[in-house]
Amino acid sequence: MTKEIAICAEGLSKRYRLGSAGTAHDSLRDLLASGARALMGRGRTPRGNSQRQAFFALRDASFEILRGENVGIIGANGAGKSTLLKILSRIVEPTSGRALVAGRVGALLEVGTGFHGELTGRENIYLYGAILGMTQREIAAKFDAIVDFAEIEQFIDTPVKRYSSGMYVRLAFSVAAHLRPDILLLDEVLAVGDAAFQRKCMNFARELQRQEATILFVSHNMFSIKAMCTRVIYLQSGRIEYDGPTDPGIEIYERGAHLSVVPWSKDNPDDWAVELTDIELSDQAGKPKSVFDFGERMKIRLRFNARERLEAPNVMVAFVRSDGVASNVYATDTDKFVMGAVDGEGTLELTTSPLKLVAERYVIHVLFRMRGTQRLLCAQVGRSFHVRHEEFDPLNYGVFHEGGEWRLARARKFDEDFCESRNVAAP
Amino acid sequence: MSVLEEAPPADGPGRGTAALRGRNSLPITEIRSGRGLFDLDLGAVWRFRELLTTLIVRDIKVLYRQAALGAAWAVFQPIFAVAIFTVVFGNFARIPSDGAPYAVFAFAAVLPWTYFAEAVRRSSLGLVQDAELVRKVYFPRLVMPLASVIAPLVDLAIAFVVLLVVMVLYGVAPTWRLIAIPPLVLVTALLALSLGLWLGPLNVRFRDVKHTLPFLLQVWMYASPVIYPLSLIPEHLRWFYSLNPMVGVIEGFRWALLSKGDPDVTALAIGAGMTVVLLAGGLIFFRRMERFFADLI
Repeated sequence: MTKEIAICAEGLSKRYRLGSAGTAHDSLRDLLASGARALMGRGRTPRGNSQRQAFFALRDASFEILRGENVGIIGANGAGKSTLLKILSRIVEPTSGRALVAGRVGALLEVGTGFHGELTGRENIYLYGAILGMTQREIAAKFDAIVDFAEIEQFIDTPVKRYSSGMYVRLAFSVAAHLRPDILLLDEVLAVGDAAFQRKCMNFARELQRQEATILFVSHNMFSIKAMCTRVIYLQSGRIEYDGPTDPGIEIYERGAHLSVVPWSKDNPDDWAVELTDIELSDQAGKPKSVFDFGERMKIRLRFNARERLEAPNVMVAFVRSDGVASNVYATDTDKFVMGAVDGEGTLELTTSPLKLVAERYVIHVLFRMRGTQRLLCAQVGRSFHVRHEEFDPLNYGVFHEGGEWRLARARKFDEDFCESRNVAAP
Repeated sequence: MSVLEEAPPADGPGRGTAALRGRNSLPITEIRSGRGLFDLDLGAVWRFRELLTTLIVRDIKVLYRQAALGAAWAVFQPIFAVAIFTVVFGNFARIPSDGAPYAVFAFAAVLPWTYFAEAVRRSSLGLVQDAELVRKVYFPRLVMPLASVIAPLVDLAIAFVVLLVVMVLYGVAPTWRLIAIPPLVLVTALLALSLGLWLGPLNVRFRDVKHTLPFLLQVWMYASPVIYPLSLIPEHLRWFYSLNPMVGVIEGFRWALLSKGDPDVTALAIGAGMTVVLLAGGLIFFRRMERFFADLI
């Protein structure tokens, strides 16, 4: 028997007009006029003077998702990921297109959703549960499990305005998850909370998955996408660029992210004094590659363009693990390398020490900073590469591996002590 | 206004949607833009009735939380208002009170007016106050103004008991006419709701509403027979005066509580009629606007 379809979207689009919120153009009179037109059933506002630039947050998105499928939604900031989830959770209406959704939808978009600061944790569980569509009886039945999962027993009768942000997220996730939705929409929620809780959430999501729940998961963390999803939808500027198995999808996404701005920066790259124009990875002989053996040296060649004359900037090259942790950073300053003044195009070469990072995928972030002031001149994502080793994996060997020296000291003495304390004759 | 633009009609159902509809054990929700003008989908509000009660309980709890005197404020507020009116308008200005003690006369009007003003204020501003909810969770938005109108009924009930005590103190005995109170309260609540349905969406778009509202309510109070009797209005202007739907309601309260004269049926009929029109229009307006709340709020 074929699986049931959980979500079916046909040509979903959402259009916003730039600057439409709160500009001087929007007078009450305009609203009443167009509202009246809309009420008359002739919704189209005439173009003319109110013509402003429109943009599609989501454009013509069509897809089908089967029951029990876990789908990762990936893409750069502003690619339409959150808009898609908001449409599917019925918070915003699509401008055109439609979607059919089967079963109960639970959405956790950002954090703290629907909590009221003055109310206690207990009261908020009931409030939030009701908002998500649970009955009071259902909530009462799951109350203990919710509190238990969120780990907030001793604060349950404290107003949530006194909660830490971590407690907030835990409680929100816990309620949403215990709703037992048929479809769960998660937007970057797991990015908050601590590592232990994130793991707990992942396990819970897998549990839901086993029970045939459909999960749509927006994240910038490719590590958790890989761990949770068998399929990804990659959005670029509101369009579906790729829809298919996870690994090739992430690869395409990362190719798209090549030389893009690092995720944590809100700067406009056009304002930066330096632009990274290319990055090449090769072995020491200069042969380009993207998979390196553990212990191999890597040669990184950065091509950049300085838009102004810069006195000896500090250049940093960071290897960022797929869960966002910078695992190793090279910097011209710490290596006592002084570039001198740069202006216009230039090429910088870095040969790394033998790689000691465990076998994983790493993304290279490149940062240019002004010496002294630390002004950010450039912060771009370069390429990604893999480290290959049969044994040293992140699960068993942490971040990097370096051998140590071992010696068995006082072995004989230990045996004597041991035997004495047991009152037996030493061998 | 950009976002008000209608979407082009969606294409016919494709293979996928047909397949989804064809065999599925779960209830199916359709997501699309636009709805018919009269498709008010009040059934959705009923399905979310648990949320409605939860929101009402929340509103009541939150109101007096962290106030040292707590719910006692529900008793003090009307007493203070009536005391001030009695001193200023009853004793100093000597405004006539149709033969009843001025305190009781004023209280009978302050009772519905306080409730009305509070219900209008809450239902108009509540959407924006709960912007977090609107932005992040789906539920029929109509639940919010409904809860805002119902929650202050608790204050009204408390104030009503206080009024009965005051009446006894002044030697005004309640009569069987009290049975007129519940329907009058219903009219007041529906009127407040219909105003909230108009002003709430406007406030989402233009926060001017928030600043205009206190002023509007104050003017409205003086345009209603709260501190003075209807008999002060010249006979030939009464019909015009009664276009204010609160006139009929307040006079109705006085009639039911003070046991004087006959009910002003014309004023009440005009008030009820206005309420029905405002409410019907408000429902349609609210449903048209609610799909843009999350975009605009």
